[in-house]
Amino acid sequence: MALRFEVLGRFNRARAAQLTLPHFACQTPLFMPVGTQGTIKGLTTDQLEEIGCQIILGNTYHLALRPTSELIDELGGLHKFMNWPRALLTDSGGFQMVSLLHLADITEKGVTFQSPVDGKPMLLTPEESIQIQNRIGADIIMALDDVVRTTITGPRIEEAMYRTLRWVDRCIAAHKRPHEQNLFGIVQGGLDPVLRDICVRGLVDRNLPGYAIGGLAGGEDKDSFWRVVAQCTAALPEDKPRYVMGVGYPLDIVVCSALGADMYDCVYPTRTARFGTALVPEGVLKLKHNAMVNDTRPIDPTCACMVCKNYTRAYIHCLVTKDAMGSQLLSYHNLYYMLQLSRNLHSSIVEGRFPEFVCDFLQKMFPKGDVPEWVCNAMDVAGIDISSCCSS
Amino acid sequence: MKFAVKALSSGKARAGVVHLGSCPSPIETPCLLLSTRKGLPIFISPDLLSSLPSPDSNLLQFSPLHFSEGPSPKTISSIGGLHQMVGLHEYGFAAVARDSIQCLPECGSTNKTGASFETPCGRRLIKPVEYMEMITSMKPNLWATLADEVPAWANNKRNKTSVDRTVKWLDECIARSP
Repeated sequence: MALRFEVLGRFNRARAAQLTLPHFACQTPLFMPVGTQGTIKGLTTDQLEEIGCQIILGNTYHLALRPTSELIDELGGLHKFMNWPRALLTDSGGFQMVSLLHLADITEKGVTFQSPVDGKPMLLTPEESIQIQNRIGADIIMALDDVVRTTITGPRIEEAMYRTLRWVDRCIAAHKRPHEQNLFGIVQGGLDPVLRDICVRGLVDRNLPGYAIGGLAGGEDKDSFWRVVAQCTAALPEDKPRYVMGVGYPLDIVVCSALGADMYDCVYPTRTARFGTALVPEGVLKLKHNAMVNDTRPIDPTCACMVCKNYTRAYIHCLVTKDAMGSQLLSYHNLYYMLQLSRNLHSSIVEGRFPEFVCDFLQKMFPKGDVPEWVCNAMDVAGIDISSCCSS
Repeated sequence: MKFAVKALSSGKARAGVVHLGSCPSPIETPCLLLSTRKGLPIFISPDLLSSLPSPDSNLLQFSPLHFSEGPSPKTISSIGGLHQMVGLHEYGFAAVARDSIQCLPECGSTNKTGASFETPCGRRLIKPVEYMEMITSMKPNLWATLADEVPAWANNKRNKTSVDRTVKWLDECIARSP
């Protein structure tokens, strides 16, 4: 174990904590920007530090292809390679292989797929995934899991869940740097509470430094989504971090934090920036719209970021989709927004005003009081009274 | 703006210094103007720009034609000018109608009423009055007047026409100078 997790404040299931990793002491709840190829598109590491980024996620699959984990290792690890002094997390490579490659075939050995470089058949095993991640050197590494989308039904989900448990043992055995890198297990089981429960128990038995809730953020309905998160957070150990993979929208993060999750990652803020969409308290602002042509207000008057302090919507409008600077500035703002949301979640829990923060957040996003039912149900379970924000 | 020659070589070369109102420090010449796209150096946002050597990196060149599709001169004026719009208050901007990459003079389409340019938004004919409207709203520290630019291989007649037009437009621009 190479981390310390200290809860500093609570409100019912929600918790604010200090997560001390080898490269950085982080505050949770936290959002991790996704730096696929060893970089966050459009931002330098200086800018990421400036806006308060604590951990970045790197994709093992992409890094193993380019520039290869061996080269990264030779050059002193990913921190040095990308000049990022704070914390890093790598995923196992499993998700990309399944989501990006058509002819991926999953067997007990591992995932066989066609290399996108030369079409050669390749095999990613739990052992190989951990070896690659050992070479990359991130503070947190993920076990290779058998990922199945929640939109699938049938025996495949059960098969994947049990295989995930068998693979985690192989990952643990293959892990050569447990004192420098924390191996997280991933809870699978689809939308089936029985399977999820078996998986949670199995992973908890292995006494890992932290746990992730996987297999979500793939198109399932919101009502199913929150219920799986709620079940898992209730069953996972109190004193270890909980990471909901691939989540997500600001609203999702607020709900999951209320239910007791600590860590999140998503490409949404940066990807949507490249399409000209800014994240704001009211939801989103589409800078491409003609309505922005002469709008001299900042993107978000309540935001303290470099972009909102210096630029008008009119100027950003003339950049978006035509000039790279538009994507850069919007990515900067969107990440600042997500990181500020993380800071607000942490401080509101520590300072004993989490329910007020949640209500304020929902009121801004749903000024007419039309908070979605799934959010109301989730907040009910989380024990947070949001009746003041709901019209019904 | 103030310019002074500080030293001369035995030939024609000279070292000088430029003082611009918006720049806190004087800039030594010869100096390189950073080229920009819509007022910002490509890929370099203001917070990164400040890590380049200063004051040497404080002079930027821009083309008003980059804003042909907006924001309008009226909106730019209401924001307070180019410096405000791009958040570079302590930098110097030099306006030239053409850049070497995306706003190229199209001398075949230029006529007596205005200069033509090939831009990412298509071909544009800019008249001196329109050009000066842009300059007035953007408020650059330095600006070149609208010229009829022709390549070195233009014939004598075309060359003479370009000089006549350029001088005429020079007077029209000066007359509308902010």
